Amino acid sequence: MRFLLAIICCKLLRLALRLLGRGGTALPGQVALRICPDMLSRLSRGVRVAVVTGTNGKTTTCRMLEKMLRDAGEDCFANRSGSNLERGITADFVSNADIFGRPRRRLAVIECDEAAFRRVCGELAPAVCVVTNVFRDQLDRYGEVTHTLGAIREGLDRAAHATVCLNADCSLTASLAADAPDRVRFFGVDAPLGGAAAVSDAPRCIFCGAQYEYDYHTFAHLGGFRCPKCGYSRTEPDVAVVSVGALTSEGSAAEVRIDGELFDVAVGLPGGYNLYNAAAALSAATALGVERRSAVRSLAHMESGFGRMERFEIGGTRITMVLVKNPAGCDRAIDYLRSLSGECTAVFCLNDNAADGTDVSWIWDAGFERLFDAGGAELRLIVSGERADDMRLRLKYAGADEGDIRVLRSQDELLEAVTSAGGEVCILPTYTAMLPLRAALAARCGRKEFWK
Amino acid sequence: MRELRIFHLYPDVLNLYGDRGNVLCLKRRLEWRGLGCSVTEVPMGERARLSEADICFIGGGQDFEQGLLMEDLRGGRAQEIKSAVEDGVTFLCVCGGYQLMGHYYETAAGERCPFIGALDLATVGDAERMIGNFAFETAFGTVVGFENHSGRTRLGGGVEPLGRVLRGSGNNGEDGTEGARYRNVFCTYSHGPVLPKNPAFADALLASALERRCGDASLAPLGDLAEREAHESVLKKVLG
Repeated sequence: MRFLLAIICCKLLRLALRLLGRGGTALPGQVALRICPDMLSRLSRGVRVAVVTGTNGKTTTCRMLEKMLRDAGEDCFANRSGSNLERGITADFVSNADIFGRPRRRLAVIECDEAAFRRVCGELAPAVCVVTNVFRDQLDRYGEVTHTLGAIREGLDRAAHATVCLNADCSLTASLAADAPDRVRFFGVDAPLGGAAAVSDAPRCIFCGAQYEYDYHTFAHLGGFRCPKCGYSRTEPDVAVVSVGALTSEGSAAEVRIDGELFDVAVGLPGGYNLYNAAAALSAATALGVERRSAVRSLAHMESGFGRMERFEIGGTRITMVLVKNPAGCDRAIDYLRSLSGECTAVFCLNDNAADGTDVSWIWDAGFERLFDAGGAELRLIVSGERADDMRLRLKYAGADEGDIRVLRSQDELLEAVTSAGGEVCILPTYTAMLPLRAALAARCGRKEFWK
Repeated sequence: MRELRIFHLYPDVLNLYGDRGNVLCLKRRLEWRGLGCSVTEVPMGERARLSEADICFIGGGQDFEQGLLMEDLRGGRAQEIKSAVEDGVTFLCVCGGYQLMGHYYETAAGERCPFIGALDLATVGDAERMIGNFAFETAFGTVVGFENHSGRTRLGGGVEPLGRVLRGSGNNGEDGTEGARYRNVFCTYSHGPVLPKNPAFADALLASALERRCGDASLAPLGDLAEREAHESVLKKVLG
């Protein structure tokens, strides 16, 4: 009885919010869970679920996996709104169910926050779990990376029957294999990519504390690691990017090996880091039974996700929005800015709300200095957001002249500057700074909101 | 030309909250004034003569990595740090680095881990973390920053607090003190990093080191527009 009541409340509340023009999923889910605490496990009965967690790349990996499944003729649903806590996930399962709680579609791709992963795995009994990577992220909220790792490990323990897809190149993520030895699928990149970061999140062996040695680096602490003391080292991945071809502003070309078979792939999203997301999605899709060649083909026709390398064209201005949340992700966005040539307007929007992390000190761990190396694009700098002053200070110490940095405090000023800039504009916002800005830009382009 | 040598201790393991921004800040503020500066990174296991340093910086780390340090400290580094402190070398120690300078850290379960003992202070772990933007008043003006620690630090008779808390928790959330001062050692829970937004604090460190090295602590004033505005905006946020 409570179950049915919860479903009705959740559906009505979500409908009401939409009629008000709001896309909220958290509140309806929260209300439903209050009425019926075990409803997520009941709603997911008979649904095969892939759960994707990790610090960076969750959303894009989910979009890729979803595309692979749909292209293969599987009817699946996903929590596309980015509401990746238990309450948001619950709301999406309610939407998938009829009024009696029976699921319509029997396959789901679910993005899950690291801190919520433990509970969500216990409820969903997933068929596949993907851990993209583990980096330091919002220390005020998650605590240390070893805590994040511990939370993910507990989740995997609860997902006792899942195939576990792990990043072979991340010494933190790969260490989870010890807990699920017989059901792990590793993915990784066999070739060097962007390079190591100034600050490594995992310089020392997670098992014995000795300093890792590397055959090669891809990004940050990812790469061909090996502990000289205890022998813990990278495992040869089941799904591997074996060589990287052209990386352009439209996408990447690479050769991929899936369970021994080689394929040429074109990934229709720019940024070398998306090769990791592609490998993660390929390992999950093939674990779910998608034919290899079909999964590879799907990667060529990706649309960028919500604020993730998303493009807007307004007048003569080409705007790229790259969501940034932590040093590792921000360094990849800086790589992208570095790859541009000519003149470019670079906009940094730093907020410090709970969803962004209230501690903005992470901006000092990202390598903004590289923006001012010789040979890159000529940047016109704009800072905005609630912590615009912190961002300006960071750029000053990175090498910018403080007089050259425009501080735009209101959304209207910022929109006006961005849309009238002309040429190439790259916006790096934190999560809550992204939402209103993206909505405004999407409206100008006549694009739909995520819940439509 | 006046010149300072900055040693960044354990940058490989104590680097949690943008700590290297403090070193960058000191370096830039010397460069902008036409003064010389060299930065030496001293990772774990590497020997370096701390007696040659003018400023030593120690940041905060994760428990996992901080644990690894104990062996290194026992291997002679602790004694070296103590001598440098007594010798008047300028130190900036933040968060975990601050706790390391004390006698010990006692976990909530009562397990005691002996630390360097260079300063008369000790820290006891607590389940509840003290997290958030905060501000405190010091001899060189108001300092703003972000704190995130579960350890509660109490100062002994031999050290002074760095400042008095205006808003936030500080050393232990009870006695209103924040950080510690002893000879030329400056300790604080303010990470973020603390120096760029608090240029007077940065310059106080530089002055103490220049005085010791060259007998001339004078520092030409800098514009500090971005520094002042960043400082003001956080102060406004903290005081509400």
